Amino acid sequence: MKLLLSFVAVVIALIPLGGCAVVKSYEREKLADPILERQTQFAKQTLEQKFFSTREGSMGGASGIGGGCGCAK
Amino acid sequence: MCKVTEAVSSGGKVQVRKHCKVISAILIPVMLVWAAVSAFAQGGDQMGLTTYYFSDSGENSVITTSFNLAKKLLAQTVFLIDIELDQVTVPAVTAVTGATRPQRRKNEPFEKSRGQVIVGVEQGLGLNTTFAGNFYRSQEIDYTSTSVIGTLSQDFFEKNTTVTVRGQYNADDVGKITDPGDIISNKKKVFTGSLIVTQLLSPTTVLDVNYDIMHMKGFLSDPYRQVNVDSFGVKFSRDELHPDYRIRHAGTAKISQLIPSIKAALIGSYRYYFDTWKVRSSTMELKFNKYVVDDLIFSVDYRYYTQMAAYFRSDRYGVDYLNGGYKTADYKLKSFNSNNFGFSLTWLMRGLAKNNPDLEFLQNSSVEVMYFRYFNDLDFSADILQAGLKFSI
Repeated sequence: MKLLLSFVAVVIALIPLGGCAVVKSYEREKLADPILERQTQFAKQTLEQKFFSTREGSMGGASGIGGGCGCAK
Repeated sequence: MCKVTEAVSSGGKVQVRKHCKVISAILIPVMLVWAAVSAFAQGGDQMGLTTYYFSDSGENSVITTSFNLAKKLLAQTVFLIDIELDQVTVPAVTAVTGATRPQRRKNEPFEKSRGQVIVGVEQGLGLNTTFAGNFYRSQEIDYTSTSVIGTLSQDFFEKNTTVTVRGQYNADDVGKITDPGDIISNKKKVFTGSLIVTQLLSPTTVLDVNYDIMHMKGFLSDPYRQVNVDSFGVKFSRDELHPDYRIRHAGTAKISQLIPSIKAALIGSYRYYFDTWKVRSSTMELKFNKYVVDDLIFSVDYRYYTQMAAYFRSDRYGVDYLNGGYKTADYKLKSFNSNNFGFSLTWLMRGLAKNNPDLEFLQNSSVEVMYFRYFNDLDFSADILQAGLKFSI
């Protein structure tokens, strides 16, 4: 519950930043650079979902779509 | 109940079989890609092909090949498909390994394959809203998983803020191959809810915050793992028994900073995780990406992970655990730390498109090769090699 509350607090804190529209549409060219990895990185997701989740007791927190498999029992 | 056929490697045939597996794992998806290119693809579509090879100190190995296609159907409608094939080899039960496998013929390597498909539609609803629906199915000889996933994404404040809400429902059949070769099946259900916020902080800085909650119910043990029980000096094995209920929470914050002066980017993230089995963990990751020449990106990545043990985890279980007491042989529920260090090279093929209109489809295409070395303080280590090809046409 603490984590959820912290998360909500962060989201609320972000809203004023968004309200200021700090980055105009014409300023976003640099953010599209592949070096920032904003597009889905399938290889990275595979590593997260397939390897770490089957070798460690934690999972989640990465925004990929996946499902169950026998390797993650 | 169904009969099972196992493939068992032996002697000199192992190498030949491995080569065949690698070749087929690569060739089949390549053929799929080209078939899809010629049959379905049109301008603006995106395709990806990734091959993944993993081997560890427990002699487990996995070869994964995946193919994905995002095809634009209408102005705001995109069809998505992702196909993934795994070939898994688990060694004889002589090595120290965290992998699980049937106990019968346990002195021989065990091989199995897994197929996975994700299909979905992403629909734009006006300028600032997107909805996506996905269906997931994974099948292996002793495990099947079926999921439905819904995702709603909304932009705010001139697209400076994006809020995404996702819900996923999983229904899994957890099977166990018995000595006669039959399969006994158990049910597991998982509901996952996610909230993701992306915030632009400056023209060169992005913050991502992600929270997942996962509610698991049903058979949460591994049907193959067994626990050593010591009853007044008499030692014997029993199937592990986990609680049939688990709620898991994970929160991640990631900040991505572009450094234009040196043509580089620094990406840092932190994840905190906890659950009702009292497992708690922290994960820190730092990645540095740099253009070494115009279209070639070199990346180094370091990840540190530390976790606390589950409350019912013990090195030794006595007779009092025989009657329904929770007990586990899962090393993932121990307390441990791990390190992961890796690097990758990404070649952006946009340079080829610049001077040749026939190669315009390479404008957003890339080739990526990654190597990772993973090791933890439980004497486990692994090498992971990945190669990926992405192109838009």
